[in-house]
Amino acid sequence: MSLLSFYARNTAELLGLTWQHVYLVAVSTGAAIVVGVPLGIALTRRPAWRAPVLGLANVFQTIPSLALFGFLIPVLGIGAWTAIAALIVYALLPIIRNTYTGIAGVDPAVREAGRGMGMTDGELLRLVELPLAAGVILAGIRVATVVSVGVATIGAAIGAGGLGVYIFRGVATVDDTLIMAGALPAALMALAADGALGLVERRVAWDAK
Amino acid sequence: MGREVRDAGRRRDTRAESPGSAPCAPCKGATRAERALSGRGTVTAVAVALRLLLLLAGCKSHDRIVVGAKNFTESDLLAEIVAQQIERRLHLPVERRLHLGGTFVCHQAITAGQIDLYVEYSGTAFTAVLKHPPVADRDSVYRQVTSEYSRQFGLRWLAPFGFDNTFAILVRGTDAERYGLKSIADLRRVAPRWHAGFGYEFLERADGFQGLSRVYGLRFAAPPTAMDLGLTYRALADGKVDVIAGNSTDGQIAALHLVALRDEQHYFPPYEAAPVVRARTLERYPSLAPALEELGGKISDDEMRHLNAAADVEHRDIRTIAQQWLEAHVP
Repeated sequence: MSLLSFYARNTAELLGLTWQHVYLVAVSTGAAIVVGVPLGIALTRRPAWRAPVLGLANVFQTIPSLALFGFLIPVLGIGAWTAIAALIVYALLPIIRNTYTGIAGVDPAVREAGRGMGMTDGELLRLVELPLAAGVILAGIRVATVVSVGVATIGAAIGAGGLGVYIFRGVATVDDTLIMAGALPAALMALAADGALGLVERRVAWDAK
Repeated sequence: MGREVRDAGRRRDTRAESPGSAPCAPCKGATRAERALSGRGTVTAVAVALRLLLLLAGCKSHDRIVVGAKNFTESDLLAEIVAQQIERRLHLPVERRLHLGGTFVCHQAITAGQIDLYVEYSGTAFTAVLKHPPVADRDSVYRQVTSEYSRQFGLRWLAPFGFDNTFAILVRGTDAERYGLKSIADLRRVAPRWHAGFGYEFLERADGFQGLSRVYGLRFAAPPTAMDLGLTYRALADGKVDVIAGNSTDGQIAALHLVALRDEQHYFPPYEAAPVVRARTLERYPSLAPALEELGGKISDDEMRHLNAAADVEHRDIRTIAQQWLEAHVP
C-alpha cells in the first residue's frame, strides 16, 4: 500500500493527529518560553544560581522519555498533559541557556553607556539587553521547537496522540508505510517550524541593528 | 592459506607448516593477499588486507548462534535460558539480541536470517503471523502452526516449555472485589463507566481488542487509550486506567495486586511458548535440537510466574536467574 493511498483513505485521521501534534508542540514550547526566558534573565542577575539551574536543566535533558513518563504517570496520569510536561522539561535547556548567553554577551561598554544615561535595571533590560540578545534567544527557541516536534512523537506511548501513533503502530506491526505516514509529516513540520522561526530571527536581528 | 604454507615450506623450513595447516574454508582471499603483498603497490595491499579482514569477520560470524527475544522480560528470560543451554551443550559462542521489537519485528528478523532462533507463542504465531481467525480448535493450534511454519518460512518449532502465557485482561484487585468481577463477561456491567489502556500490538492484532470487544460485547466510556505496553501496568496500578491487557505469567500481577479475569468463552487461543529455529541452523548444528528438546515441558505456569517475578519484582539479573534455573532443573 502506498503512502498516498493511505493518506487518501485516512485523511481525517491524519489531520486529527497532525493537529494533536501541533497542539503538543505549541503548548509545551509556549510554556517553556514563559518559564525559560525569565529564568535565563534571572541567572544573569544572580550568578550563583547559574550552575545549579543549568545543571538541573542538563540532567532533565538526559532522562529518557519513557522513563520520564513512568515518573509522571502517578502525578499527571496519562494523556496530553503528561506529554506536554515532558516536552516542557526537554525544551527548557536551550531556552534558558541561550537567554543567559545572549544577555551575558552584551558588550559591557553598551551597558555602562545605558547606566550613564540614568537607566534603571528594568529599562536597561527592556531597551538595551533584550533587543541586543534577541537573536540568540530566538535561536534557542528555534532549537527547542524543532526538537519538540521530534520528541512529541513519543507522546504516543502515553496516550497523547500525535503523529507518533502511526510510528508506534507501524513499529508494532512492521509496516513501513505506517511508520513513514507518521515520520514524514513530523519531519516536514520540523522543517516548517525551523524555516518560519528562522525568518523571525533574521527580522529581529535586522531590527536590532 | 594452503599456498602460503607450501611456499613457506619450500622457501625456508618445514616447521612453518604446522601453524597454518588448519585453514578456514571460506577465507580464500588469503592467497591473493599474499601475492599482492609480495608484488604490487601498498594501495592494493591495503585494499586486499581490508577484504581479508572482512572475510575473516565473515568466517567468525558463521560459528555462532544468534538468539533473539521480544521486548518483554519473559521473552528475554527464556532467550537467556536457551542461550546458556546452547553454550553448555554445544560449546558455541551465542550472540544475544534481546529485547527486539514485538512479534512482527522478531518474525522479520528470523525470516531474514538476522537471528537464528527466538521463543514464540503458538497462539501468537497462529493469529498474528499466520493470520488465522482467533477462535479455533484449541488442540490443533500447535500442530497447524508447526506445519505451516515449516512450509512457509523454513522455520522449525521445537518442544514447548510447558506453560501457557495467554493474554490476561487485568483489573485492580480492589475493583474486582467491589464489583464482583471474575470473568471477562462480568466487565460488561462496568465497562460503560470504565477506561481501558492497551499496548499498540494488542490494539492491532487479530486476537486483540477488536475481536475481544465483539465476542464479549464490551463497550467502554471512550475508545481505549493506546500506549506503551510497559506503561499500562503503572497506569492501572495508579488508577489512571481501569482495565489493561497483560500477560498471564507476568510477575507484576501479584506484586501490584491485580486480578486476571477468566476467559470463559475461550476467545484467546493457547499460547504455548517454544523455541522457533531456522531449519538451516538446525542442519548446520545437529546437536542443537536435542539440546533444546531437553528444556521441553520443564516450566509450568507457576514456575514461569516465579521466574518473571524474580526479574521484575525482585530485580535480579536474568543471567543469574537463568543459570540457577538450568542448574536446578536441567543438570
